[in-house]
Amino acid sequence: MFEIEFGDDGNIRCMGRLDAAQCEKAQRFMDSLAEAGTLDFAGLEYISSAGLGVLLKTQKRLAETGAALKIINVNNHIKDVFRYSGFNAIFDIEASGN
Amino acid sequence: MQKSFARSYDSLKEIYDFTEDFFQAEDIAEPTRYPVHFALEELFTNMVKYNPGNDHDIQLNVENGGDHVTVTMTDYDVDAFDVTVPRKVDTKSPLADRPVGGLGLHLIRRMVDTLDYHYADRQSRITFTKRFE
Repeated sequence: MFEIEFGDDGNIRCMGRLDAAQCEKAQRFMDSLAEAGTLDFAGLEYISSAGLGVLLKTQKRLAETGAALKIINVNNHIKDVFRYSGFNAIFDIEASGN
Repeated sequence: MQKSFARSYDSLKEIYDFTEDFFQAEDIAEPTRYPVHFALEELFTNMVKYNPGNDHDIQLNVENGGDHVTVTMTDYDVDAFDVTVPRKVDTKSPLADRPVGGLGLHLIRRMVDTLDYHYADRQSRITFTKRFE
């Protein structure tokens, strides 16, 4: 199960498991973003390489207009995935508790 | 524990539940679970993606090795695709030059302890292990 929606604070809340089966749903939402946004991963348990592709594709598109995604409340496992992928150099990432 | 799964992304939830049942039955801690789930799902997704017309199920076996988990995945009637062959991965380029995709096998190699591939009689068998953390 994966859910993505705007929270009351304007951040984009991602919840559940973003695996290959859920990427179409995530990509549809991200394609509707026209400006910079903050992704709140507090409820995101898991991300696959296909999910990384959704993030990267969106970041590249937003960068064309000078905008960018920020990602907050990243758990330790996903933080490792970002580090191994080199995503910490191309995304503004805040771990849980920061 | 062994089970076969339909060649579809829709099987990912069922695979997760199957593996979680194994972890709980064997009392395997959470830090070990994530990398196993990750490697398993990436490898299964590759099998679905690169052999879409194949109607054979994919067999999954998980075992408790005492201080590690062993996962074996068997795919039937497929061409060889050696997942252990190192592939060039770009994790350092600027955003504009970064390709979308191709990270899965690189990430698996970072997260598991051993990764082996065997191919015979049009059967691919992938085995990986993850030490308990």
